Amino acid sequence: MWEYFKIFSNPKKFRERGLLGMNARNYYVISKHNKRSLYPLVDDKVQTKKLANGININTPRMIGVVEHQFEVKNLPQIVAGRSEFVIKPAHGSQGKGVLVIKNYADNVFTTASGKKLGFNEVYQHVSNILSGLYSLGGQYDVALIEELVHFSDAFQEYSYQGIPDVRLIIYKGFPIMSMMRLATKESDGRANLHQGAVGVGLGMRDGKAVRAVSHNMPIAIHPDTGVDLMTLKVPFWREHLLIGSQAYEMTGLGYMGADIVLDKERGPMMLELNARPGLAIQIANGKGLKEAIKRVDKFYPKNLNAEERVDYVLNNAE
Amino acid sequence: MKKMFSVRGVLTLFLIATTLFALWATYYKISVWGFSFKPKKEADVWTIDAHISFMPTGDPIEVSLSTPNIGDEYKLLSEDVVAKGYEVEKDEKNHRIKMLSKARKYQQDVYYRIMIYDNEDVSGKVKEPAPQKVKKPTFDDELQEGMVHEIWALADAKGKGSDAQHIIELLNEKTPAREVDAFLPVKKTQQVMAEKIIYLLATRGISARIVRGVKLSEKKHAAPADLMLEVHEGSKWMVYNLETGAAGLPKNFVIFQRGGVSLLDVAGGVDSQVKFSVVKSVISSFKMAGRRAKYEKSRLFDYTIYNLPSLEQNTLKWLMIFPLGILLVVILRNVVGIQTMGTFTPMLISMSFVKTGFMAGFICFSAIVALGLLIRAALTRLNLLLVPRISAVVIWVIVIMQLLTVFGYQSDLKIIASAAFFPIIITAWIIERASITWEEEGAKNATRQIVNTLIVAVLTYVVICNDYIRHIMFAFNEWNLVILALVMLLGTYTGYRLSELKRFAPLVGEK
Repeated sequence: MWEYFKIFSNPKKFRERGLLGMNARNYYVISKHNKRSLYPLVDDKVQTKKLANGININTPRMIGVVEHQFEVKNLPQIVAGRSEFVIKPAHGSQGKGVLVIKNYADNVFTTASGKKLGFNEVYQHVSNILSGLYSLGGQYDVALIEELVHFSDAFQEYSYQGIPDVRLIIYKGFPIMSMMRLATKESDGRANLHQGAVGVGLGMRDGKAVRAVSHNMPIAIHPDTGVDLMTLKVPFWREHLLIGSQAYEMTGLGYMGADIVLDKERGPMMLELNARPGLAIQIANGKGLKEAIKRVDKFYPKNLNAEERVDYVLNNAE
Repeated sequence: MKKMFSVRGVLTLFLIATTLFALWATYYKISVWGFSFKPKKEADVWTIDAHISFMPTGDPIEVSLSTPNIGDEYKLLSEDVVAKGYEVEKDEKNHRIKMLSKARKYQQDVYYRIMIYDNEDVSGKVKEPAPQKVKKPTFDDELQEGMVHEIWALADAKGKGSDAQHIIELLNEKTPAREVDAFLPVKKTQQVMAEKIIYLLATRGISARIVRGVKLSEKKHAAPADLMLEVHEGSKWMVYNLETGAAGLPKNFVIFQRGGVSLLDVAGGVDSQVKFSVVKSVISSFKMAGRRAKYEKSRLFDYTIYNLPSLEQNTLKWLMIFPLGILLVVILRNVVGIQTMGTFTPMLISMSFVKTGFMAGFICFSAIVALGLLIRAALTRLNLLLVPRISAVVIWVIVIMQLLTVFGYQSDLKIIASAAFFPIIITAWIIERASITWEEEGAKNATRQIVNTLIVAVLTYVVICNDYIRHIMFAFNEWNLVILALVMLLGTYTGYRLSELKRFAPLVGEK
């Protein structure tokens, strides 16, 4: 009986490591630093995209938007001439409702996992998006169609299908923690840790892997490709951090998550922002967020611009 | 956080204030209205009628009756005098009630009526100031003195018990000893026996007195007062049964008068007597509280939920249990960290369990969800839009409930017949969301969410189905304010959740 309780850790050890719990995140961090009225800026991916493009942050190019049910049948016109694209809900979260079309030819849509879909199935998917099935509060949504990202060859070995992305936690404009999320066979091409994706904690100064986890437990190699995860190093690291840092001025959110993908030709691109980023990044890094937040509050200089903040992090981060 | 008026500080003050208020209100309800923690729906109420009758002599009449000092044993519900044309005076200090009238002609009948109900057990030991030392009776002649000595010798030969018990036993023997026979008169009324025992005890310097009262039993009609003996032992008055010698005041004995004072005095009348009748009735405990409140002239009661018609009371009784369920949900989500489908869905399911009974509800709910998921899977193929699709699921759920209820009735399975109690819309949403989770995140995640939801529902059920808890939350509904304060205070809980202690365990290097 007593053995059973050993799966729970002593909360004192957590406090020593500066781990941020869900309650503390909501109470001290999110509700203090994120104004509710700013949420729509990041909850609506179409808005985020427009804001980002306004200050020259790269994002996947938008192909079109389906806002109303009667427009669904226009889908062939919208994607005419393209063989690959992504359909996603503008208000989705955790990659829910994202449909990646790798090949569209002769009225057949082939998804990332190789499944072949007909028009009816894709229409159904778009209809579901519009009726709010994947949106946060279940409210009516719009479907966003954008270009497919061709992720950099640097990550070829590290991900099983799917698109690997870098998640940055931005506090008061400083990137304070980061991880790379790698899809696995189990996660079905998705980059969500709770669905079985691999999380690789990255050093803030250099973007090099420091630790990797799968299902919360440390691992050394990718379960599907067998590559040594500790050899991972994200190229264009400064550019990654800069996108995250700029998102602070762009949205005014004091605490957020920024998802960044590295495109072969276009470099790092902002995929989406999140006003309530999850806590799993702490496990991937083996470090607590509370600790990092405290350090920013205590020691980091104020009134820096985005470039200066990134330089400060590159030189001073732990 | 170190501000003078931190949110947590204010909420803590609120919690303390509500707790103090709840404690006071609980005390008030128990002591004044006679509420109890036990979910006893009904209480025994005894109506004691003292019927006083006498012939007027032609002088002004003054009737004085000793009234019971209703202490801890019983609670007084009402007190009435039925005496037409009499002026009634109450003497609280000496526990007497007086009925005054000008001279009258014919036989007079006046009634004093009290309604009391059981409060709690008493030990039968009554603390009262000790009486003065009893003067040893003087003996008429040598013969009597000798007789007393012989009787005491016989009494002392008895084994266990006090002197009083020995004497009572001796005098009540079926075939009395020769000495006792000679001592007692032929006609042995309770009154005579009591006087003789008191006389015998006095010879040893033990003071004793008669206690007059009414033994509560359902078959008492126009009976004289019942007698008991009170003997002064140590610093207390001990009550003894005059026939068996059993010590202690019986639970169902209401004392009207004790000691030297008279039970009934009638000036201006002769042949006076008082007869007692007892009627037992059963009354709902909340109705009784209302009568008590009226007796205490407490208007407060009129503005409580207990003064409402029973239909409204039952509805409120149902509502009063919600806050506790909500508190449990808050704790399970924010302190334990269980993820469920919808915040209050588990509570609504458990509410249905209360109506259907646990096993029936559990089996039935599982059956509905399982069948619903099958139908939902079929609907997926039809490519319907979301709102019409969820609406179709709702109607399907109604159809399933109908079929289960009819089938359950026909096959005499009570378990299945309870299908109709589940909230349809909630059930339909559970099916819809489970189905989406199934497609999106796999069967494992969907099952886990349903299981989590059911676990929370069962835990909530265990709390709210308890008769005691339901009674307490209704009778002492002020505690809902404390729950409110607790829930708000939990809103500032920033510690780790139990689930996080497990989730982040690999981080602190434990196995």
